[in-house]
Amino acid sequence: MIPFLTRRWILSLATAVVAIWLGLAWRVGWIALRPVNMYSGWLLFALMVGLAFFNARKKLPFLPLLKASTWLQIHIYVGWLACLIFIMHTGLRFSGGRLEWLLSLGFIAVAASGIFGLWLSRWIPPQLARSGESLIYERIPVLRHRLVEEAKAIVTQAEAETQSTTLTDYYLRVLGDYFARQPALLAPLAGDDADYHRVRLELTSLRRFLNEREIVLADQIGQLLEAKRNLDSQLAGQRLLKLWLFVHIPLTYGLFVLVGAHVWLILNYAHRL
Amino acid sequence: MNSGSQPPYAQARRHAAPERWDKPFSEDMKEVDVDLLLAHPLFVSTNPDRFPLSIPLRGILKNDARIRRFQPGEVIVRRGDYGHSAFVILDGAARVLLREPAAEQLGRRQQVRPSVWGSIKRWLKRPHYAEQSANRGSATALQLSGSGEARIFLQDVPGVLDADWTVQLKSGEMFGEIAALGRTPRTSTVVADGDAQVLEIRWQGLREIRRYSPEWKAQIDSRYRERSLRRHLAETPLLYNLSEETLGLIADATRFETFGEFDWQSAYSRVREAGERERLEQEPLIAREGDYPNGLLLVRSGFARVSNRYNHGERTESYIGKGEAFGLAEIVSGWQGKVMPLRRSLRALGYVDILFIPTAILEEHVFPRLTAEQLAALTKDLSPPAAVVGPGAVLDESGNTFLEFIVAQRFINGRATMLIDLDRCTRCDDCVRACAATHDNNPRFIRQGPESSGVMVASACMHCVDPVCMIGCPTGAIHRESINGQVEINPETCIGCSVCAQSCPYGTIQMVALHDEEGLPIVTEETGAPIRRATKCDLCIDQPAGPACVSACPHDALIRADMRSVDDINRWLLR
Repeated sequence: MIPFLTRRWILSLATAVVAIWLGLAWRVGWIALRPVNMYSGWLLFALMVGLAFFNARKKLPFLPLLKASTWLQIHIYVGWLACLIFIMHTGLRFSGGRLEWLLSLGFIAVAASGIFGLWLSRWIPPQLARSGESLIYERIPVLRHRLVEEAKAIVTQAEAETQSTTLTDYYLRVLGDYFARQPALLAPLAGDDADYHRVRLELTSLRRFLNEREIVLADQIGQLLEAKRNLDSQLAGQRLLKLWLFVHIPLTYGLFVLVGAHVWLILNYAHRL
Repeated sequence: MNSGSQPPYAQARRHAAPERWDKPFSEDMKEVDVDLLLAHPLFVSTNPDRFPLSIPLRGILKNDARIRRFQPGEVIVRRGDYGHSAFVILDGAARVLLREPAAEQLGRRQQVRPSVWGSIKRWLKRPHYAEQSANRGSATALQLSGSGEARIFLQDVPGVLDADWTVQLKSGEMFGEIAALGRTPRTSTVVADGDAQVLEIRWQGLREIRRYSPEWKAQIDSRYRERSLRRHLAETPLLYNLSEETLGLIADATRFETFGEFDWQSAYSRVREAGERERLEQEPLIAREGDYPNGLLLVRSGFARVSNRYNHGERTESYIGKGEAFGLAEIVSGWQGKVMPLRRSLRALGYVDILFIPTAILEEHVFPRLTAEQLAALTKDLSPPAAVVGPGAVLDESGNTFLEFIVAQRFINGRATMLIDLDRCTRCDDCVRACAATHDNNPRFIRQGPESSGVMVASACMHCVDPVCMIGCPTGAIHRESINGQVEINPETCIGCSVCAQSCPYGTIQMVALHDEEGLPIVTEETGAPIRRATKCDLCIDQPAGPACVSACPHDALIRADMRSVDDINRWLLR
């Protein structure tokens, strides 16, 4: 079992070696007046097809096609190489025409969303692990509903047992809204749980109006608040981890359509230039 | 004084207190059968007066035994099955098969990893609905008796029994007692040789008979010494290369001891949520730190916690399982002139079977034959043993959380425990989807479970070292392919009784309803109730790529860990 750091070093080094070799080959080809743009274009296309196979592999788990983790590593490092070849191929000049401009923009968007997704997949999981108990994403609405019901039951019990409305008022004024609210889309990036602290602070400040029995019930509400904080954290983090793929994959499909048009145009019209 | 929420005792509904024999082994055992048994040569020499009044011999025979009649070729016990009873032939004969027939002949599936093309074909023909079963039926070898009890008949009886690789057991001979008392799989298949009448005694009764009848104890122990103990001792590294004579002497001096409850899974469910201190108090003490090591303790089956005192608490240092020894370093040290008390305590985690070899025997017959290097290697254990450390954690004086967690939750029982590194898991559910894609559109595990130190133990079958789920399966549908193989369920012979699901202490076996090609539930003719079957992780035994969950994880966050390989787990945790 190779440690992650060692693996990262080995693969980075191998990618750097290949990148240098490609750069030199491209330069030699360019000096020798070879059609380096055609070569780099086809190479880029082949790499993109290879990268897209990662998703196909996920759909065929029964086939012995290497582990998905191996595919991901290939996807990451070949992706970096594809970025390099893209730079060689375009020279970072996007003035060829609308299609080429769109194609370049599409490639950059796919690459950027991939890099963003990679960063998310390394950044969010440790946050989720420290937040509290792991929850299954699809069950979160059910758990949220349960929390609301439990909170309602506690404040109702508090009013019935103590004839005091402090906790009921708190629920109507603060808690109801807090339990109904969903975290913002990018909340995990901002590390935003200010709402939780505000609501918690208010609950603490109410203690001077509570009798012994109400304090016990307020502590139970405190536990529900903690559960809601974890629930929000799990929801926001997992949602972002799922959503970025809904950007990366459709963009990839779109890119392939543009690449197809680009190849067709080159094959049919390049010789007339 | 009653609290507000509890009803007063006067108003409580009254029932007779539950007793041991509320549910006898068989309702068919009558007093006349017991009389016949007591008059049988088997029990003539057994003195009923030795048994306590609360557990009389007659009561044991009536409630913990049953008389079964087997037809020619009927399988009495199958090799590899986990039995909970022993058998004595009352009338007729049986044959022990020394060579195992084909799996199908014993009502089992022959597992063959399919080719890649086979997998593709299966995927193309995958069912549309979860747990779809077009033609569910019993395996050819399986039949149901009038009472609904599953019976297995050997196929091609003359071909198997006429061969010269069988041994005949005659009237009065006992078999299956080692598996029943030692919680180990049956080591041979035994088939009825003609019509046979057999007394089956469940392990609880056998344990009592052995305890109160010196004749039975002598017989069972001597058979164990003959059949298993010598082999077990010879496989113990410390006793390698000893002569047969010396091994015999050691075997004669070895004592058998058991600790904990045989059906530990029920007690485990009760104490699972308890605090660490309370759990520790309930674990039977096998050896106490500070005591003189008067013998070597060899674990024959089960697990034990190795711990030492730390201020006012107990710190877990490691755990030991089958084949491992406790107290050896201290004994060797004492023999070398430096008397040393036990530096750690040993506690039973569940049910533990121990072999006790007295120190004097080792000093006389074993240590003098060892070289200085071998002795030095034995005392190397005086330094702390390897323990599991959590990711990023350092094993400090107060021990570590992850080790305490896996020992307390008994996950050490797992041979293929699904561990998920929560620092790397992106909750993408690719593992769940891959599992569903390879198992009738229904994943065989739930990606949720207890967590500690950033590691989750998911709710997936662990293919336990001590698979209690296999005890009590009426058809042997849940079985282990080999001694160290995966535990799997044969869907053709599973009758959906849910005994395995209830027995699994980790709750990893699910009962699922079967559906037809149109997605409608399949129901019984008699009651209209849905037909269910037990499902669980089979480690993708029928997949060419191995466990789909592991190979589908893009982030290296999931492994199936053998919890006995502490070093491997450590390496994985500290990647």
